[in-house]
Amino acid sequence: MRSHNPFTLTGKTILITGASSGIGQGIAVACASQGAKVLLLGRDLERLKETIALCENGCDHGMISLDLADDTKIKEEFESFVKPYAPIDGFVHAAGISPTIPFKVMKKNQVLETFQLNLFSAITLIQTLSKSALKSSEGMSMVMISSVMSEVGEKGKSLYAMTKAAMVGMVKSLALEYADKNIRFNAISPSVINTPLSLKSEYRKDDAAMKLVQSQHPLGLGEIEDVANAAVYLLSDASKWATGTNMIVDGGYLAR
Amino acid sequence: MELKFKEVIIEALEIEDREILMSDKFKEFEEWDSLAQLTLIAELDDQFGVTIQSEDFKKIQTLQELFDHIQKVQ
Repeated sequence: MRSHNPFTLTGKTILITGASSGIGQGIAVACASQGAKVLLLGRDLERLKETIALCENGCDHGMISLDLADDTKIKEEFESFVKPYAPIDGFVHAAGISPTIPFKVMKKNQVLETFQLNLFSAITLIQTLSKSALKSSEGMSMVMISSVMSEVGEKGKSLYAMTKAAMVGMVKSLALEYADKNIRFNAISPSVINTPLSLKSEYRKDDAAMKLVQSQHPLGLGEIEDVANAAVYLLSDASKWATGTNMIVDGGYLAR
Repeated sequence: MELKFKEVIIEALEIEDREILMSDKFKEFEEWDSLAQLTLIAELDDQFGVTIQSEDFKKIQTLQELFDHIQKVQ
């Protein structure tokens, strides 16, 4: 019997964006419970402290308040924050927004803002993290939290879908571009997850709409841990042969 | 201004093929749904510089009430 557990994150340092709530927070807690040191990135330091309080071995972890809307600030502040924690073994980009905007009234500034938070910020962070001085000699795993909207559409979600589909496209090419540096890139595409944000969605207030959403998910709606466990797998050595994939975690939403 | 208001409504809800009355309860239009609401709110913001709060929007039923609200907050 093997003594090494390939699913463990013990000894690994993982950076997570959007860690102050929802999926990002859940991933941080799951990574810490599997033994990782987590570095949390979010806007609100107080809320990041709340996430740290939920993590095992709270005192080992690090956090930085950084507004991902500001690319210049990311470039100025991120590298000096992360350097003392190097080498970095994994990165999860869970930060993002999910606007519902009819295409007819979509504005360029809304497009730029959504792309900045959902994708451009990740580009800047990946470019910094992939520098050899920060990268672990054992390789690195980069995980982008995409969405089933990268595969299918929904009324009012064209902008969100653009960013998430672009993310999956990026992951595939980067998987090839960085394979020789032993950096893996994968995406996770969840469907509807019970996050604090999704609980406030309009369809939750409408019984008929809610029933429809539920009927589209044969295994029911997802929980944060469903995405977090997928992230743990992709960050661990258990997935060392997986790169350029888009892992669908959707309770069967796309199966039909 | 009423003429421009009606044009915005017609354009937002894509109902160029029919007449609308200020007494119409626009939320009962066949075309009305959550996306139409977002479109209308965005168009009114663009054309009249008025951001209608969702609490206010919930109370408004007729086009006349919507028009009056815009004039009041403008």
